[in-house]
This record gives sequence, structure tokens and C-alpha cells, in this order.
Amino acid sequence: MKRLTLLLTALVSLVGLTAPGRAEVPPGGTKAAFVMRWNGDWQVAGGLPEKLLLLSLQGLANRAGPQLYVVHPRDFQWEITEPLFEFYQRKHGVKFTELKTAEEALTLFARDAKGYVVWDPAVPATMNVALTIAGLDDALVVTAAQIPQVEQHGLKPVDDLRGRYTGQTDAQIYADAVTRYWARCTHESIMLMGGHAGAVRQPAVADWGVRQKMFFHDLSGNPARHPEEVALAQKLLSELQPGAIVFGWHSYAKDTEEQWTTLLSGYGLKMEGLHNLPNLSFNCQFGFTPGFKFTNNHHVARDAKLTAEAKVYLSFVQSDSIGIGVWTKPGRGKLPFAWQVTMNWTKFSPAALEYFHESATPNDYFIGGLSGPGYMYPNHIPADRFPLLMKEAREMMAILDEHVMEIMDNSAADGNVGNADLTQETVDRYYAAFPDVIGFINGYGPARTRDLRDTRPMISYDYYIDPRRPRAEVSADLNELIALNATRPYFLLVHVRESNDVNSLVEIVKQLDGPTEVVPLDVFLKLAASKKTYTTRHQDPEDPKHFKGYK
Amino acid sequence: MTRFLVCLLSSVLLSSVLAASPIEGRWRLDRTRSTALDGWHEWDLVLTVTGSRVSLQHDMKWIRTTLSATNTVDTAAPVEIPAFFRVEQRHMALYPAKGGTTAARAAWLDAGRTLRVEADTPIEISQGQATMRLYCEYRLLEGDNALLLIELHNTRPQPLVYRFTRVTETK
Repeated sequence: MKRLTLLLTALVSLVGLTAPGRAEVPPGGTKAAFVMRWNGDWQVAGGLPEKLLLLSLQGLANRAGPQLYVVHPRDFQWEITEPLFEFYQRKHGVKFTELKTAEEALTLFARDAKGYVVWDPAVPATMNVALTIAGLDDALVVTAAQIPQVEQHGLKPVDDLRGRYTGQTDAQIYADAVTRYWARCTHESIMLMGGHAGAVRQPAVADWGVRQKMFFHDLSGNPARHPEEVALAQKLLSELQPGAIVFGWHSYAKDTEEQWTTLLSGYGLKMEGLHNLPNLSFNCQFGFTPGFKFTNNHHVARDAKLTAEAKVYLSFVQSDSIGIGVWTKPGRGKLPFAWQVTMNWTKFSPAALEYFHESATPNDYFIGGLSGPGYMYPNHIPADRFPLLMKEAREMMAILDEHVMEIMDNSAADGNVGNADLTQETVDRYYAAFPDVIGFINGYGPARTRDLRDTRPMISYDYYIDPRRPRAEVSADLNELIALNATRPYFLLVHVRESNDVNSLVEIVKQLDGPTEVVPLDVFLKLAASKKTYTTRHQDPEDPKHFKGYK
Repeated sequence: MTRFLVCLLSSVLLSSVLAASPIEGRWRLDRTRSTALDGWHEWDLVLTVTGSRVSLQHDMKWIRTTLSATNTVDTAAPVEIPAFFRVEQRHMALYPAKGGTTAARAAWLDAGRTLRVEADTPIEISQGQATMRLYCEYRLLEGDNALLLIELHNTRPQPLVYRFTRVTETK
């Protein structure tokens, strides 16, 4: 082992001499960086401790420059790590050296840490407390079993959480962590490190939180089950800076996406998922390549006037962030498809956005969302925060050359079914905030908010394609909607869940009855503006609400 | 008098058939042998016969949400049901029309082993409102431990076929 360490130390020295090292990424030219290829083992009792150690290392190593990138297996939820790895080499001239083991990574980057902090897998919340400490005190996050390994690299204990929180509730643990650390953490963002819970955890976005010195937690947004945790979460959210971002994702064991997104929207904050979004500490350090400018595949000008014929117009949209799902599935480009872009990536993952634009086909059309400059539920955004947030959204849409805004408010929904409608007040605000869009779309599952003001329609999804639903039933569902909505033209907006593939949609379209046409979303909205065969409808106060919200 | 006696006899005979009808009870959807549900994970159907009235109770589950709704039909006369429950494909933007009333007709077929229910139900659609005509047969299968529901819509090109198994007390 010592011999290997010496060899690696020599290699580091050599790299240090020959590579540009830790400087800012120059616009062009060759940069040196390191890459690791991880497996899919995130078991707490298996691969998690080593990955957590490496994530804290990645966050610290990438502070001075983009040093360490991770490629995940093909079945990882974020499927873009491999294509983006290739993109960095091709477009940014990054020369990667592969590191095969954690030991190799420690040999290179342990110098970026001042010590280590010990977490206790038997007390899950200590992982998040340790990650908070890691960011604040430049520490690596280890279990007891990993102490000898990091001490071999000269690291000393910074803190040891074993025993400190044994027997305490998460509310008690995080309340103590707030007292100890919150004041020193950034208040521009916070890390909701939830997601997978129990035997498997997947904190792949931890590098970003460590790099940015965020407060890590997985406080519940469920007022019925965890009122103390909700109260503490509300305190933290209220103390964040206006327009701050909540990174990560809600805990699958405690609450729902709807609850947490409702909670943060009430403070005018933005959600940026997920808990396993990898490599942000690396990605944030690359801008757009010189001369690159977003050019969307518009099919109509903003002021174009189209006339709908007596037929059924369909348009397909995917809104689960283009970094996951359909983009890498077979068949993309065979049908007109709209993609909701995670607009905040212009700030912390520009290369990923450039990659998507570069690999877009003429049938791929990008739209803004989700609801604003991040994922939020607009029915709950405070009125005084709305204009500034939407100004930010307009600016990002301008950069991304987007003409359509997608809105989603599932605060009253039950998963992806139920009430996903916008109040009239919310609709009014959007029409006031986005005078230059072609139109708006709304929903995730189906919804029934519809409007048309001047030339800007607001259309909700009439159908959501569950990837598990047999294709014959999807065709039958669509044909039934076509039969019931018998007036022509009929505007049938379809949301395609992330893990569908376009090839199967091509086959579905062949099974549809009547005169149908699949059109790009901008064309769809222009046609919908030309002949209003849909009713105007907003959220009815009497419509059932699955979750009543916070007070 | 003769006519009265015939009617009485028929009524008694029918009642005795129905009273013994094994179609009553709790039935659980066999998802592996049924048309895929959309927006529901579980479905229990509870059939109760009281004279000419048949109540169809639907116990539904979706994630942690449970819902129970009952449609009561009458094999002797058409009924108007104010809050008719239809097992929807919930990823379609089709909703029960607010304040709508569903006209339903029911009849026993096949010597009381099949219940036919026909309903015209108002649906809210994105273009306003439409009527969906449903034709349902609840067929008791041989052995009386399985129930087949075949549901046709005038607007759907293919039937929905659901197979249920009887829930015994021990299940």
C-alpha cells in the first residue's frame, strides 16, 4: 500500500508539473482533470460509505477548479454523465485521467481536506450533519471503519458524531445542528438531502453542497406526521435570502414532493432536484464554449398567425428535466417534442445545457419552466415575490431562446393525479408577467386550467403517458379523448413521463382515429389561439384538494 | 287473481334465486388478469343485493389514498344517480360533471348469474361537457369464486375487462 501511495504521490507531482493544475478553466486549450467510474451500489451497508467519502472529497477538490468528475452507470437516474464526460473532452479539451480506486483519489486530493468527520450509519441524520461540517471545516466524511484509511493520508479528526445524537429524533438532531452550524452556512441555498431512505441512500449531489458550504438536512414537510420538523424547516426557509435555491429532494420516507414544493414555494424559494444530481461542483466551473449561443428550433415567429383546421392536433412534452429519461432513449427526433429545460442550469451547469442544445434534432423544441426560475408551485408564491421571480425567469428564457412557459402546481394533487389547477389570481399573474410568450402550458398529470388572452393560450395536459401503461391502452385512452372532445379542432396536449421512449409514441400515433396531426408545441399554441374550442376554466375552490397546505 | 298469483310466484322465485346469489360479497381485482388500471393500485368490489336493488361498492386505493364509493342500481326500474362513480383512467382529463346526474338501468341475465348495468353519465371534458354511455356486465364464473366485469364505452374502441376473485374472511 505504501508503495502505491508513493507511486501516486509521484504521479500527482508529475501531473502538477505538466498540467495547468488548479487554475480557472481557460476558454479553450487543454485542461487536466480526473474521472472515476462508479458502480450502482448505494447500500448503506455496502457502497455508500466510500461514495460519501468521495463525494465530500469531490466537493473540496473542486473548490479550486474542476478536478474530479464521476461517470455513473447507464441505469443511474441521471443518464447524462457519460455523454457529458465525452462533451467535456470534445468541446472543452479536458484531458481526463481515470482514477480506479478511492485510495487513488485520496492520494491526489486529501490535501484539499483539513481533516475528517465521523458519521454513524445507525443514526441516519448524522450523515447530513457530517456533510454540513465537511463543507464548513473542509473535512472528509467517514465511518469509523474508514478512519485508518484517511489517517494514512495525514488527516486528523475534526469532529466525531458517534454517540452525540444516539436516541434523538431527527427534529432534535437538526435543531442542535442549526444551533451549531447554520449561522456559518451559506444562506443563498440549502441542501434538502432526502430522496432514498433506509438501506439505500443516494446523496450524489452532496459534492455541490459541500463545495458551497450548505446546511444539509432531510427535515420533513409533512405537518401531520412531523410538525416539529416542519417548524424547523420553516425557520430555515424563512432565513434564506430572497430567491434562494433549495437543492436536493424530499425524503421518500417522510413526506411527498407535493408537500415540500408547496412549503418552499410559500417562501418564494426555488427547488432544484434531485438528491442524486451528480457533478455540480465540476459542472459549475465551465461556461458556454466561445461563440455558443442558444438557438431554439422555432417553427413560428412570436407574431405569426396560424389558422387551425378541422382536425385533432396533438403535441408532446417532457418536463421531468431533460437530464433524465426520454432524451437518451431510442427514437428521439422522429416526432416533434418539447422539452422543459432546467433553466437554472444556465448558472451552475451550462455545459449540460449546451450539450442538449448541440445534440437536439430539428424536432426538439425547448421551453421554460418549471413555473418560474426553478421548480415552484405558483399558487403558493407570495404575491410580493412573484414579479421578481418571473423577471428572473424571463431573463433565463431570453438566454435560452425560449418562447413558451410551462407551469405546474401539484400542491393539491395526489401524486400525479388529482387537482393540478391554477387559481384565477395565479393565471392573471402569469399573463401580466410574460407578455411576450407564445403561450403557457400547465400540469403534470392532466389538469383543466385553460384560458386565452390576446394571442396567448394557456392549455393544460389532457393526457399523461404513464411509462408502465400498455401501449394499446394508451392508444385507446387517446382515442377516447378524441371521441369525447368531438368538436374540431381539438387540441390534445400530452405529457410524456421521463422513462417513455419516442419509438413507442410513434407506434401509438399510428393507432389514433380521425384526422390527427402531431405538431410542435409552438405551432400547437398558435393554432389553439386561432380557434378556441376549449372552455376557459381555473381552479374551482370546491375542487378537492389532497393536501390542504400549511398554516 | 290468477295474474296476481303468477306475479307473486315469479317474485318469490326471483327473490329466492337472488337471495341465494353467490354474486354477493367482496371481490378483489386480479391485476395480472385484468386491463391495466390507471391511477389506482387496488380495487375491491362489494356487491350487495336487497330485493331488486343492487349496490356496487368500490373500495379503491392509490398510493396511501383510499376511497369508497357506491352506486346503487335497481333491476326493477331505472334510477338517477347524483354522484355516479366510474373507475376512471385517471391520467385522462375526464371528470364527473359537477352537479351531473347519471341515468342507470340494470337487469339480471343468465338466471341471475350476470348483472347488466347501463349508464349514461355526464363527463367534464376540455371542450365542455359530454355524455359517456357505459355498458357493464358483471358475470359470475363457474365455481362462483371469480367475477368478470366487462365494461364498454360508446367512446372507447375496446372493452375494459376486469377479473375479480372472491375475498373470503381469511384473506
